[in-house]
Amino acid sequence: MDRHLLAAVALAAACLSACTTKDARPAAEAAKVDPAFVFTHAPHLENDVDCLACHASVVSSTALSPTVRHAAFPAKNVDACNGCHDDKDFKAKVKLAVPARAREFSVRMNHAAHLTQKGVTCKSCHLKAPEPGDQEPPKLEMAACTACHKHQADYAAGACLPCHVDLKRYEKPVATFRHAGDFLKTHGSLAKPSAASCAACHDQTFCAECHSATTVAGKPSLIFPEEVQRDTIHRGDFISRHQIEAGGDPASCLRCHGPKFCDSCHTQQNLTGRTTLSAPRDPHPAGWANNPTGGDFHGFAARKNIVACAACHDNGADSTCVGCHQAGVANPKNPHPSGWKKKSSDIVKNPMCGACHR
Amino acid sequence: MRTTSRLFAALLGLAAAAPARAAVVEASSNTMVIAGQQLRGALAGETPGLDTIAPIYEILSVRARDLSNPLRLEGLEVVFSGWASYDLGDVRWSSGTPDRFTGDVTTGYLRGSFYRRRVTVRVGREYVVAGNGRMLQIDGGDLALRLPAGFSVTAFTGLPVSQRFGTRAGVRTWNPAGGDRAWGGRVGWSLAPGGFPGRGLDVGASLLAVTDDGTTARKDLGFDARFQVWRPWTLTANATYSLAAERWAELRADVLWNATPKLFVNLGAKRTAPDLFLSQTSILSVFADANRTDWTAGLRYQASHSTSVGVDYAVLVEPSGEGSKTELGHQAAGRVEWERGRTRLGGELSYLKVGGLGTEENGYVGARVFGRHDYTRVFLSADLATYFLKQEVNGEKTSVSGTLAAGTPLGRGWSAVLAGHAGVTPLLSQQFDLMAKLVYNQTYRTAEVK
Repeated sequence: MDRHLLAAVALAAACLSACTTKDARPAAEAAKVDPAFVFTHAPHLENDVDCLACHASVVSSTALSPTVRHAAFPAKNVDACNGCHDDKDFKAKVKLAVPARAREFSVRMNHAAHLTQKGVTCKSCHLKAPEPGDQEPPKLEMAACTACHKHQADYAAGACLPCHVDLKRYEKPVATFRHAGDFLKTHGSLAKPSAASCAACHDQTFCAECHSATTVAGKPSLIFPEEVQRDTIHRGDFISRHQIEAGGDPASCLRCHGPKFCDSCHTQQNLTGRTTLSAPRDPHPAGWANNPTGGDFHGFAARKNIVACAACHDNGADSTCVGCHQAGVANPKNPHPSGWKKKSSDIVKNPMCGACHR
Repeated sequence: MRTTSRLFAALLGLAAAAPARAAVVEASSNTMVIAGQQLRGALAGETPGLDTIAPIYEILSVRARDLSNPLRLEGLEVVFSGWASYDLGDVRWSSGTPDRFTGDVTTGYLRGSFYRRRVTVRVGREYVVAGNGRMLQIDGGDLALRLPAGFSVTAFTGLPVSQRFGTRAGVRTWNPAGGDRAWGGRVGWSLAPGGFPGRGLDVGASLLAVTDDGTTARKDLGFDARFQVWRPWTLTANATYSLAAERWAELRADVLWNATPKLFVNLGAKRTAPDLFLSQTSILSVFADANRTDWTAGLRYQASHSTSVGVDYAVLVEPSGEGSKTELGHQAAGRVEWERGRTRLGGELSYLKVGGLGTEENGYVGARVFGRHDYTRVFLSADLATYFLKQEVNGEKTSVSGTLAAGTPLGRGWSAVLAGHAGVTPLLSQQFDLMAKLVYNQTYRTAEVK
């Protein structure tokens, strides 16, 4: 197993060694990828030439594409051209090459949806146009977007992906970022159907701080005691009340912790298998083992919260339960719940059944 | 020894990643020493022992993004977070191994996309987030396809992670879905009609299966939905059906209402079958089939620019253990937070009443106050919590614990924190510990990202 892990690490190292900085290329090399703009926009804009005269197809564009640039001379000279270009075959003399764009777009944009809005023109957003020699088009100000879109509300709701492709590339103002309401409580339900939205900002190390119960170094409040305002999981003396919390929502524990996580501590604290009943650290009430008429009988508790039993007694064929409940012993008690039957073929094939049904 | 060599392999991998440069690298390091005493349980009639512990930790997190690469993967990123520790004193009980030197990889993966981010691949130690994954941690990979018309498909496979690179199958793993193979995926559909960002519908169906030595440990179908037609209202629902037991493991629905920009209300209902959260290879998984239902309500209100309040209440309908009878439990919590300038103060109250192991009710009432002030060069924080338990734990019903911390920035991304923690608590008796921490947080940009 160690060799497999080392081989995997070596493979990953080899792959990574082939990686280089994307945007730290020499300028000449970068120029080969993204050629400079060649068209002179300024005189056209100064003379109020309609952008759509050359960029007509953008009206029907619903998404940005690096290979579709929406730039082409008009099929025939229109009035806007003839005002200056009196040479009727000027298009034949001017070669306009519009190469595909190599860089990724950082936003999503539906031009068709925008240009059909009343009062929206190209110049509403594109305050400047690229000129010959420019490697990149002039950067669009975000104010152009937020003039119409309620960015603050979207920001608060974390609704970024409709516009942004990937937010990890931006400086994240984490300190001021707030999801609405008790997001800690509701984030799970929102993440199940839209995990991709979460991943736009958060990589999984962020999730792991609380969710990685199996491999994490310690709970967040232990590592970050100074962050008192954070509503972190299991803060303070959780250990003294953990069995009460577990009684309130047993399934919640098992989302992160396997029963052996509980048992590893219970064993160290002499709560497992070494305690005589009625000892100070014994969690079981009197009459637990063999008083089926009393309300504190273990059978009722097992029906009520079997997860609590699993925190110490989930030991396969060596489980405490097997000794008394296995079929074939004198007067065995059926531990299955009323009406329980083997519905699924998966359960029937389970070898653990053989611990009792030998 | 196995732990040590595997940890070494993980660190080797990290070192190998160092030569690869990226447009953005975020690095975070926490080096800390905690010194204190821990109680060890005793047999009946014996006095519990006190162990002196002094673990030193290095917790490291590195994220490198926008790596150029020969495969032309878009947005290639390498994410790693892990830790190592050495016990200078006695071995602490939460170590997960009797070795003094230990550690683990919390997250570690490569992720990149093809075809204008329509295909995304991730390989390494990761979590299954979408659908009914329940944040299952695996060593493996996943593939996500963004298809036309709002459809998406994800698929994953891997080994469920166990603590400290130990056994992935069998009875010793801490992973709740312990096994030696996990696989599954999700098919989703999104409709975004526009109008406002977030408006629309997300629905999906997912499958998650875990096997342990060929035996089914978990085989669940999942369904999930998010529905937002009007800006203030969001409906979410999800369900998990156990194919192994042929019963619903979980049903949940929530209504989230952003009534005003300052008022947020959530209402929810959840039904769970806790026995179906146990591995189906557990002998205890066939001893119960009871369901629990929680009805929840919560409210958050930004009373003023500096003050926010929140309250939550839940009715817990629990099985009594006798036939189909049920008992009622209650859970309530409140929180007030005040912030002005560089001062932040807060208070919390909590209440829980549930059934105990036997016939007696159990529960607690808790209170917590906290505060932090950032001076020009130093910050101070304090945190005090107390709980009054309904039933005795170790002969005690009261728990009091508190933490004081102070820190200062050292410049260039470095800062130092000193913290002291003390408490009189039922399970750990009198306890105290001191912690010194050196923190490094930095983001490197080798180029402007357009």
